[in-house]
Amino acid sequence: MTAVVTAPTSQRVTGLVKSTPGRLSLIALLLVAVTLLAGVLTGWGVQTRSAALEELATRSEPLSFAAQEVYRAMADADATASAAFLSGGVESPELRSRYEADIAKAAAALSTATGEISRSPEVGAALSTLSGRLPVYTGLVETARTHNRQGNPVGAAYLREASSLMRAQLLPAAQDLYRAETANVVRDQDSAGGGPWTELLLGVVALAALGLAQRYVTRRTNRVFNIGLLVATGLVLVSLLWVSVASVVVASTVHDSRKNGSTQVDVLARARIATLTARGDETLTLVARGSGAAYEKRYGEVVKDLGDLLTRAGSLSTEPEVHSAVDSATKNFQAWQEAHQRIRQADDSGDYTTALAAAIGADQGGAAAAFDNLDRDLVTAITHARTAFTGSVATARGALTGTVAVVALLALGAATASVMGVWQRLKEYR
Amino acid sequence: MKRLLLVLLLVTAACAPVPSSAPDITVGSVGAPVPGDAAEVSAPPSSGAAVPACDATASLRPDGALPTPGAMPTGSTMERIAARGRLIAGVDQNTYLMGFRNPGTGAIEGFDVDMAREIAKALFGDPNRIQFKVLTSEQRIPALEQGEVDVVVRTMTINCERAQKVAFSSVYYQAGQRVLASRGSGITGPDSLGGRKVCATKGSSSLANVANIAAKPVVVSVANWTDCLVMLQQGQVDAVSTDDTILAGLAAQDPYTEMVGPQFTQEPYGMGIPKANEDFVRFVNGVLERIRDDGTWSTIHQRWLGVLDRNATPPAAKYRD
Repeated sequence: MTAVVTAPTSQRVTGLVKSTPGRLSLIALLLVAVTLLAGVLTGWGVQTRSAALEELATRSEPLSFAAQEVYRAMADADATASAAFLSGGVESPELRSRYEADIAKAAAALSTATGEISRSPEVGAALSTLSGRLPVYTGLVETARTHNRQGNPVGAAYLREASSLMRAQLLPAAQDLYRAETANVVRDQDSAGGGPWTELLLGVVALAALGLAQRYVTRRTNRVFNIGLLVATGLVLVSLLWVSVASVVVASTVHDSRKNGSTQVDVLARARIATLTARGDETLTLVARGSGAAYEKRYGEVVKDLGDLLTRAGSLSTEPEVHSAVDSATKNFQAWQEAHQRIRQADDSGDYTTALAAAIGADQGGAAAAFDNLDRDLVTAITHARTAFTGSVATARGALTGTVAVVALLALGAATASVMGVWQRLKEYR
Repeated sequence: MKRLLLVLLLVTAACAPVPSSAPDITVGSVGAPVPGDAAEVSAPPSSGAAVPACDATASLRPDGALPTPGAMPTGSTMERIAARGRLIAGVDQNTYLMGFRNPGTGAIEGFDVDMAREIAKALFGDPNRIQFKVLTSEQRIPALEQGEVDVVVRTMTINCERAQKVAFSSVYYQAGQRVLASRGSGITGPDSLGGRKVCATKGSSSLANVANIAAKPVVVSVANWTDCLVMLQQGQVDAVSTDDTILAGLAAQDPYTEMVGPQFTQEPYGMGIPKANEDFVRFVNGVLERIRDDGTWSTIHQRWLGVLDRNATPPAAKYRD
């Protein structure tokens, strides 16, 4: 029985393709497939882009900022602990609360970074070093403090041990973390800001399919225009334009987010870290009391980098607020360099008391004041550059709002219109 | 039949092993933090075997009476220092009682520091005309050889190996090496240190002495003596071995440590002076003569090292000419 059915079916299919109504039905089917597929793929492309933007705004950038904060807070804690030691006697309440705030900030930023560990497993080693060693560091600092209060010189040895733990293990781990998180920002920017090539190709294919169908229908039916197919073409064109414009807007705002935001933040953050390192070395040179040549040498190297970074930040800056903050930072940097010269002169000529006063004294024009002002200027600049970054990313996300829904609706509309247009002609064969 | 198969299938499925280990928490290295320059010493430093025997403690005789402060002989090292306006002294800031930074005031104090101030006083009439340059054990001889300091007063043992490179004053203190360990550790002296970790500073004669102990301890070297106390308190070494003066300073900071065993070496301290400055060696010896005789030495000793010996007398000077 089955054998009897098969032969006529294949004959019927061949007949269908050869006859005009059969071809028209097939064309309708193909058009539905092409428009819907183009819609789905385009929607998926837009969705990917939008996901990358969301990742950028809610995870990569905050995480890279958290990583930078971990580094900064720990470096500052170390410099502060050394300065507190240098001041002699019981440390000032300001220095103590600054140290405590640094540790609290480092721990909070660390927990932010650790919360997202499943996303970037490559930073696992750095994070476990940081979370495992930070308590050890604070323990050593507290031991040093207790000994200092009891007048035991061994306190200085505990502080040296803490500082060497910080410099040998904690700061390098924080640096690794910062590098990895910054690389993620760049990756998300790349994937959000690429050109809409796939979407363009899909749109062109759908348009070509509609055009060919239109030509066939015109030839067979001697009617120049088919309303349904024209509407479908229009809808596909609208979808293509919408996606192209949105993508171009996204690409250009992502470019802005780099130029006005992340690139500057990176340079400024590195300048801030260099500032802290240099201040730490300046302090340690005095702590070493005449045998600190190694610290002074590194101070010279770091300060040279810092000068270059400030120059770069100045030439990169686009926002007026960032520009003026960097200008002010450069002035304070010069004031600090002058104060440092005075410190070295006094210390090298045996006037330790004057050197100490110039280094940690509270007077304006001293190294401590210049360092604080420089750091504050850099914070201002970083805050503004970050605002520019988040603003750009928000604009980019706004440009994509609803795009997926629009693309889907237009694709559905185009499919329906094509079917209706072909159906109009098909009816005439009944 | 079908139903039976189904039941069998279900039973086997239920018995199939499913991995069910509870995940453990993995921890990276848990190694204790160590002082920056700490290292285990595998080969003992040159023990001076190649150095011919000598009478290193015999110094140069003072050149008559001391010149008046502020009126140093023309062309002398002392005049050069006077022209500079301050004496540059290499000292320690990490050895409690001998040379240390007072955590309360930030000032450098101690027995050695007061000795150095006596030299400044003889030069300028003012013990505060002095610049301290902090040196580790290892940095002492290079600093003298390069002329970075006028004098090193830093628990420096006079020996023949060093006497080839720098000049020494007459002996200003007679110390001896002992062992510091935690109370109840079972360590009773150098003989019980076999296989134990013992800490000493790099470039010190104590390090060489520890390496030469017959019981063969494991030697750990650090930069400063307080680093040894840190490692002892953190359980990373079993004992510290050096001069009793330094150990007394460490024990004073930790009541759970004690000095054990006898003095197993003699450590005569001298002030190190650049080899070329023989006039300055004679001058310093003149100052030492004076403070031995007028009771200044005893006052300074009493202030810092009274814990070791209440009635110590200064060691007698020995001269080769």
